[in-house]
Amino acid sequence: MPKKKQSRRAVIVSGVRTPFVRAFSEFLKMDTFALGGASVAALLERTNLSHQEIDAIVWGGVILPSTAPNVGREIALDLGLPASVEGMTVTRACASGLQAITTAVSAIERGDADVIIAGGSDSTSNAEVSLPSKAVHLLAPFAFGKASPSDVMGVLSQLMPLGEILPKMPKIAERTTGEVMGESAEKMATRNEISRLAQDEFALRSHERAAAAIESGRFDDEVVAVETPSGALVSSDTIVRADTSIDRLGKLKPVFAKDGTLTAGNSSTLTDGASSVLLMEEQKAKALGYTPLAAFKSWSYVGVDPTDQLLIGPALAMPRALERAGLELSQIDLVDMHEAFAAQVLSVLKMLGSDSFAQHRLGRETAVGEVDPARLNVHGGSIAIGHPFGATGARMVTTMANELHRGDKETALLGICAAGGLGAAAVLERV
Amino acid sequence: MSDFLLELGQNHRARALIKGLGLPIPMPQELARATDAFLARPLEGHDIAFGHGDSSPLSDVIAKTLTEAGGSVGVLHDCPSREVFCTQAEAWSRPLWELTLNPEGPKLDSIVFDASALDTTESLRTLYDCFHPLMRRLKQCGRVVVIAAAPDAKQDPLKRATQAALLGFTKSVAKEVGKKGSTANIVYVEGNAGAYLEGPLRFLLSRRSAFVSGQPVLVRAPKGRKHPASDWSAPLEGKVALVTGAARGIGAATSSLLAQAGATVVCLDRPADDELLSKVAREVGGVPLPVDITTPEAPQAIVDFVTENFGGLDIVIHNAGVTRDKTLARMKAEWWNQAIDINLGAVERITSKLLEGTLRDHGRIVCLSSVAGIAGNVGQTNYAASKSGLLGYVRGLAPVVAKRGITVNAIAPGFIETRLTAAIPVVIREAGRRLSNLGQGGQPRDVGNAITFLTTPTAAGISGTTLRVCGGALIGA
Repeated sequence: MPKKKQSRRAVIVSGVRTPFVRAFSEFLKMDTFALGGASVAALLERTNLSHQEIDAIVWGGVILPSTAPNVGREIALDLGLPASVEGMTVTRACASGLQAITTAVSAIERGDADVIIAGGSDSTSNAEVSLPSKAVHLLAPFAFGKASPSDVMGVLSQLMPLGEILPKMPKIAERTTGEVMGESAEKMATRNEISRLAQDEFALRSHERAAAAIESGRFDDEVVAVETPSGALVSSDTIVRADTSIDRLGKLKPVFAKDGTLTAGNSSTLTDGASSVLLMEEQKAKALGYTPLAAFKSWSYVGVDPTDQLLIGPALAMPRALERAGLELSQIDLVDMHEAFAAQVLSVLKMLGSDSFAQHRLGRETAVGEVDPARLNVHGGSIAIGHPFGATGARMVTTMANELHRGDKETALLGICAAGGLGAAAVLERV
Repeated sequence: MSDFLLELGQNHRARALIKGLGLPIPMPQELARATDAFLARPLEGHDIAFGHGDSSPLSDVIAKTLTEAGGSVGVLHDCPSREVFCTQAEAWSRPLWELTLNPEGPKLDSIVFDASALDTTESLRTLYDCFHPLMRRLKQCGRVVVIAAAPDAKQDPLKRATQAALLGFTKSVAKEVGKKGSTANIVYVEGNAGAYLEGPLRFLLSRRSAFVSGQPVLVRAPKGRKHPASDWSAPLEGKVALVTGAARGIGAATSSLLAQAGATVVCLDRPADDELLSKVAREVGGVPLPVDITTPEAPQAIVDFVTENFGGLDIVIHNAGVTRDKTLARMKAEWWNQAIDINLGAVERITSKLLEGTLRDHGRIVCLSSVAGIAGNVGQTNYAASKSGLLGYVRGLAPVVAKRGITVNAIAPGFIETRLTAAIPVVIREAGRRLSNLGQGGQPRDVGNAITFLTTPTAAGISGTTLRVCGGALIGA
């Protein structure tokens, strides 16, 4: 954690992301290296940064290619950056992107580096579909060696039931509980008494605000057009629905439970995309002639019992980050929360506003506070924009850094929930 | 040892046939037992009805316990402590539901009733009003826990009578719900001991108390000790436990549960059982200590071993015991001596030696007594004498070691399916099994779970008492 009195401070200089598109669509032929490379290349072009200045790439990802999991380094090599630009890759489920950034901030503030590109990417379209080990073991003699007649008989005798040897569709299930994340969120909706209507209204606002940000050109600051291998140009987010309505959202069927309240409309969807930010030591940034946008005041990562409320982590992480920054929620100008599910965000908000939660779970006298909807996710969130797991952290940091820099805002609070019962939060301040 | 009726009862056709024909054959309900690790939230998803008298003095700790343990609590519309339950419900995202006294309402996992404020015979009527409509709503293997005020010298006789009435009520409820595998128990809480209710309440509502029924538990505030914080999923982390007679049965089951709760277990048994003992020790990740506890050197050997290997001891389970059954007229003096010496003499000698400095502060001593020690038994003058002697021993020792935060308790198992009971003639064995509220014998781990509970930090309020793990056995009740 950064100390109060520090000589070195890391600042956010710029941030760029690819458009976020639905999985198995426009970016089908772009893997996580290609997506990450596109965002880093765009960042370098926009900032006109000399490649010699870059110390490292710190990358976040969730679906890491098993043959080359160090995506950060691969991006540097793919882009032909100097060999000295070292690279690492971190993974912390949906908080991976924020983790990459805070890791880079730590490195800069410790003096390990002066200039780091941090970000994240994920291509759900290119997730490796793994064969069940039974199928691998059966087929190994054919693939890797000379099959004997008995191997052939062995395969034939064990082909049934077919389900055991067919590749399984990847799904976002908790390893320990086997529960799909939407099921966990569905339980949270019930336990925190979050209505379908409240979720749909939240989702609608996310779409309206994201659509407005695109329409007004606000996202041009941070979204860059990407040319796909087939030559098509993708210039804007594709998941946002400017024309959705509470009626349309209300007609969707629940997807995780028969009588549930979570729908495709009020949940984030599988997405492909990448985002990256340029971090520099403050004096270095000034020396190179850059205008810093924002800096980190604090952050916090927490773990909660995944069998209880899987995605409630931010309700604990956000107050802790505030405490470390020496701030109260009322002093925060902007709040940006990752919208895995509307139900999850609303559950966290409800806990932040609860005196009981504060007393029994945080050791505080009174509630952390109500989050004013006018300050929350001012340009929409993951429901409307999409959620390429590793890319979301850098998207949020970029949007908030730009927002702080553009307006008369001083502080922003970020909150991200993640698989495994993780919660992440950070406080940004304008520089 | 298999229980034919229990197995038969699991076959729904056989069950329906026997019921339909009206055969006088008991059909015991297979008990739901905890099979998983120690859990932070053992009551996850349980629907718990909370009832009360005119006021609920212990609602703070009850609300906290039930909600933190994962329970979903229903309170009556006029509950005087609604606010207390609401705030806990909100903090843990377990919405409070409205309990209606409607016999047709949704099924309940448990009923908790705070009767500690009842002080007149008329006020007992609130028991009837609450339980009468709810009895049929209790699920199979459900739980009833009544919370009462412990007797004290300042209570007026009427309050004393009212609180005493609760015991008869609870024991009768236990008999009525036993057929369905459900239990009912009562916790008597001293005025200032509310904070120590949490552990006992969790235990009695959990699946770890499957064979404890119709029992009173007395909770007092220990002297000079703050309320213990507990890591519910590893309550004995860092503790060192000694279990005598660990090679088989209750001793082996207890060793395994103590280890599961986080303790390092020293498994002691006779050198002749070395092979079995080593196997148990290996399985629980503990260490075997082959020592004959009847020898004069045994106490010193134990002290030397645990001091050298662990620097001390936190938990002692005196489980080793023998039966030398013969009617008194036929009993040889040797058999008398053996039973008394192994069951009582060795316990006293080892405990005294350990209390010279080996047993650490906040230690736990649990002695395995027996329902026979409470009720007496034909052919067991020696055994029953030794076992009831232990009841006096824990009562006498508890105040002596209280200053150091050490608790001493006895466990009195009823009919438990072990090597000992398998040797009983079939007719008597059947009687032993069936003559209890639950209509079946207990498993060694049922006793082990009760022992393990008494050794946890949150059982600090229980000392000098005897807890029966007998399924509500009729004998000695």
